[in-house]
Amino acid sequence: MQMKIITPISRTIVFLITGFLAFSCSLEDDLESLDDTVFVRHKKADMPAYIYGNGTEKVFLITLHGGPGGVGLGFRSPMFKKRIEKEYAVVYFDQRGSGMSQGSYTEEELTIDIMAEDVLALVKVLKAKYGTDARFFLLGHSYGGTLGTATLLKDQEDFLGWIEIGGSNHPYGVYFANLTNHTRVANEQIALGNSINYWQSVKALVLGMDNTTRNDTDSRKLNFEANTAEKRLANDGVINRETNKADIAFEYNLLTAYWNTRTIQSIERRFFGEINYSDRLSEITLPTLLLWGKYDMIVPATFGTSILENIGATTKELVIFERSGHSPMASEPNLFADEVLRFMELHK
Amino acid sequence: MRRYTSPANRNFKATIIDPIPERNASTTVLHSDQDSLCLLKGCLLFLLLSSTTFYAQAENGNGSVPFLEKTEFKVGYTGNFFWNNGLTIGAEYLWKEKLKAKERKRGNRINTHQFLFNANLGFTANFSTKTDTGLFTNAGITWRRTNKKGKQFSIELNPIGYYRSFLPETYEVKGDRAEKVFLAGRGFYAPSLSVGLGKRREGKKLSGRYFNMNLLLRTPFNSGTIPSISFQYGYRFHLKKKK
Repeated sequence: MQMKIITPISRTIVFLITGFLAFSCSLEDDLESLDDTVFVRHKKADMPAYIYGNGTEKVFLITLHGGPGGVGLGFRSPMFKKRIEKEYAVVYFDQRGSGMSQGSYTEEELTIDIMAEDVLALVKVLKAKYGTDARFFLLGHSYGGTLGTATLLKDQEDFLGWIEIGGSNHPYGVYFANLTNHTRVANEQIALGNSINYWQSVKALVLGMDNTTRNDTDSRKLNFEANTAEKRLANDGVINRETNKADIAFEYNLLTAYWNTRTIQSIERRFFGEINYSDRLSEITLPTLLLWGKYDMIVPATFGTSILENIGATTKELVIFERSGHSPMASEPNLFADEVLRFMELHK
Repeated sequence: MRRYTSPANRNFKATIIDPIPERNASTTVLHSDQDSLCLLKGCLLFLLLSSTTFYAQAENGNGSVPFLEKTEFKVGYTGNFFWNNGLTIGAEYLWKEKLKAKERKRGNRINTHQFLFNANLGFTANFSTKTDTGLFTNAGITWRRTNKKGKQFSIELNPIGYYRSFLPETYEVKGDRAEKVFLAGRGFYAPSLSVGLGKRREGKKLSGRYFNMNLLLRTPFNSGTIPSISFQYGYRFHLKKKK
């Protein structure tokens, strides 16, 4: 009787294990159309890197998402698939504590320093997988720009170039820059007769905020308003709508991704205040391309200007997208792709 | 689009390119992998010992009800349709049963209240990205109410649970070295709670079906605990001897 029970169960287990192994085996790498998922295990975290595109030249564009708490594949819009992946391999990376990354570490082990080391670990993994002749560009958006800067300040030897989109080398400084920027844009829009009531309310909001000391509550309010303001600008036809977005609904367990975002953003406050790379930008000597939306209400374009003036690279350029906010890759995708591909072609 | 080059190049100028509108608290690490492995071993040992006891009881012929008479097995789907899909198998052993009669206008209504020990083994995967594959096992207790029509409501609490994730190709970086990890993954303590409805099929080999909503926690996950919600739909069956 026992055998009768055990046999079907054993068969089921064997079936499950066989099925699992079959699904977990990756196909032989095809450099021309890469479609790989590789985990990077580093300092108690396992972080997925999704690699797509044309790897024949072994030139990889490593992307760093914003947030913290965004998701790597959030970059993989139709433009990235059709334009950038056609020419180069693109690495979409879920940072520590974000997306589908997992691990077991304390809150103290969630710092921008360790996250920067994670990016360098990713480079080592890509070299181990694709060969030591692989070459890399680094691209960071928003917080990814901050993280990219931190990474390059640790080690820039492996990179051919640095592309920063709406990033900040001093996250706490964003608050004060936004007070000025919100007022400037509000005045401009009122003069143009666009959504006058809304922009007057923005001016009133800014006036009620402390312009000498930053606090979390006001900073969050201003950040929330920045998102609303960009939507308003899009509604009024001042900037393009962000239509070129990645479809990640089936790529991520949204509950897991949301929970990770919520957790990391509650921790982020602890280490954000300590970040200020303004005085160290001169140490970055890589060819640099800075891409900013003229109406970036989250990290104003003044940051782009400041980085351009202070970064140590001899080849550097700031491109302002006239009809974009914080994410030019979503609002002016073709111009964005043109700039990225031109830069990579020049420096690969 | 405006293009600026660096002032250091002495070419600091604004080139206006015609805009082309495209409308278009620190968490204490409770369980290392080693601890989780111990937990899994404990869980399996519990299942093994329970089964051995039940079988011994069945073979003793000491008058108690044989194990198979009090046990139902179950197999079903587990997942959330969009991201994770998988299978779960399990067993439920009847521990206590009470009949509760309630007087109604149309006559007495008798509901059966049961407490059951249960143990499950499941597999779940996100086949799209392969980033969320795992094998889990848990054990606990179920409370179930069955009305005279055979409709059931149950609450299943599994305080003993273990989840082992399986990652695709993984490299571990230590210093300058990146080495491939065999059967990479992590172990988590994973208790769970299910609430569900079901239907008993009296006198049939396929003795019932169930639909549960399950909340599974995994800890320590990153720097805290992560919940996952899944649905479970399946059938219960028994292996009783025909009388």
